[in-house]
Amino acid sequence: MDAQLAQYIPVLILLVLAGAVSGGMLLLAHWLGKAGRRTAAKDMAYECGMVPVGGGSTRLAVKFYLVAMLFILFDIEVVFLYPWAVVFRELLREAATANLIFWAMVSFLGVLFAGYLYAWRKGALDWHEPRRAGSPAAPNRSR
Amino acid sequence: MNNAAYIQLFKLAGPEMLIALAALAVLLVDLTLMRGAPVRARRVIAVLLTGVGGFAAALYLLQVPLRAVSWGGLWAVDPLTQLVKLGLVGLAVLTAVLSLEADYTDHVGEHFALLLLATVGLMVMAGAADLVLVFLGLELTGLSLYPLVALNKAGPRATEAALKYFFFGALAAAVTLFGFSFLYGLSGTTNLAGIAAALRGRGFDPLLALAVVFSLVGFGFKVAAVPFHLWAPDAYQGAPTPVAAFIASGSKLAGFFLLGRFVALALPESGDAGRAALFTPGWVPAVAVLALASMVLGNLAALAQRDLKRLLAYSAIAHAGYLLLAVLALNGAANRPAALAALVYYAGTYALAGLGAFAVAGHVERHAGAAALNHLTGLGRRAPWLAAGLAVFLLSLAGLPPLAGFPAKFYVFAAALNTPHAGAVSLGLVVVALLLSPVGFYYYLRVLKLAFVTESEKRPAGPDAPGNSPQGGENRFGVETAVALLAAAGVLGLGLFPQWLLGPLQAAVREAGG
Repeated sequence: MDAQLAQYIPVLILLVLAGAVSGGMLLLAHWLGKAGRRTAAKDMAYECGMVPVGGGSTRLAVKFYLVAMLFILFDIEVVFLYPWAVVFRELLREAATANLIFWAMVSFLGVLFAGYLYAWRKGALDWHEPRRAGSPAAPNRSR
Repeated sequence: MNNAAYIQLFKLAGPEMLIALAALAVLLVDLTLMRGAPVRARRVIAVLLTGVGGFAAALYLLQVPLRAVSWGGLWAVDPLTQLVKLGLVGLAVLTAVLSLEADYTDHVGEHFALLLLATVGLMVMAGAADLVLVFLGLELTGLSLYPLVALNKAGPRATEAALKYFFFGALAAAVTLFGFSFLYGLSGTTNLAGIAAALRGRGFDPLLALAVVFSLVGFGFKVAAVPFHLWAPDAYQGAPTPVAAFIASGSKLAGFFLLGRFVALALPESGDAGRAALFTPGWVPAVAVLALASMVLGNLAALAQRDLKRLLAYSAIAHAGYLLLAVLALNGAANRPAALAALVYYAGTYALAGLGAFAVAGHVERHAGAAALNHLTGLGRRAPWLAAGLAVFLLSLAGLPPLAGFPAKFYVFAAALNTPHAGAVSLGLVVVALLLSPVGFYYYLRVLKLAFVTESEKRPAGPDAPGNSPQGGENRFGVETAVALLAAAGVLGLGLFPQWLLGPLQAAVREAGG
């Protein structure tokens, strides 16, 4: 166990150093700086030194999250497809793995395709929701 | 891995794949063919598809005898896991039938697909033989159940319940993963049997104790044992009733089966006789503390509840304590088959009774707006079949002899008392459990008194109390009554003839090699 734990001594040193540096900075700022003096500039939100533009809590369309999630899903699909495509020919030539290499990816793509259809039919891919002619009193029940 | 291994994998995971296919089919059919159809028709179609999927999986489990540890030791298939999976599929189908009345949501496809995916997760939990797959099963179940709890978007309690469930679940998963990483660090393998082989014969080790306690957190969360139970009452009360029924039945059964297998496979039994030997494997004191705390707090807190679903939640916590006694009895190697069979029997019969009790609660909630205890007044006259079912379930949960709760408790206590090397601890816990039994009787009988004895002559008028309207539509023979009667028949049958389930269980345990 000791040999195992010994590998982590650099991490421990880093931890101590990080604590000392950050704590030291705070303490030095507290002792040397003019703590407690407040100006308009000091109370401003710190944004990389720029003068901030707009409020801190802007409204964000929830669609962004949907698109982000869908992007990650289909990004993962591509990540799997690349290595698969690289070894595809080689494994297809051998009888032992010919079916495996094909059907493994087909089953994976099948599940993903079902998810794609779901996202599509649910309207997650439409950026502008087509506004229905009716009044808001008749909401789309199946959404 | 080659062709043969891949086809073998398909064969072994056949039931899970059938259920997953049913989930996809429900989702797509609801979105394409049934788009625009009335919600009621969509629910009927979804229930039918769920039933077909469940039936196919059950047929597969019954007809295809397989026994293997495959996929590089990740996946265990033996008669015992198949039996438990059969039970899980049955509970899922019953839950789906209950959901026929789920008029709180328009998301029909999502509702049933998530239910089926949760079932896949539970089945993965039941078949896992590796830390990675254990975690995968826990997470697949959890991530499917969180949105199900939140499905009743109009109910303020549902959102609160889902958030609590989610945060507790996320924290428990993180801590469990931390514990698993220690187990891997100590043994160098993620295979459950490999871990046991590597840990056997080690002395007491603080790191091992830490690993075990951390790993137990996730299981404790899933089965709602006491320090990790805080989500349960809110989730049971706030969740739509079919979902609460599934969490109380399926999730409990799979959780305890997984915990039992984890303890039996991965953790070493205590060595030589003596007091210190108890502490050698590290997990015995931890499980004993969980059992004691769950029994005491669950039973005492149930006394103060005014809502049937909350009362069932605390009773579930108390029963988790009793079930942990059976887990504790897995300590001795000679005692293991009996203890494992008792554990699965108890969890299975508890799941059936819990599901039925929630079916009754769902009926009351649908007619009175909430499942508060005083809404039960006069249920015996208004809906006699349902009330009779409720009596069967609650008396079984209390452990009255002709019902399944009695042999379940008997076998668990017997297994606990037979545990070698743990005599004093087990004896003490069994004594506590027996002392708490009258407390359980008190709060179960209080519910039944309201349902049967208390007259509701002063009918609180008001349009907001539709449950108090005269016999109107409530006596209609609905799906809740059907499910409750089916479950009650099961509870009664398994109570009169425990060998019907216990016999196959013992045979399966023997064949699975304990």
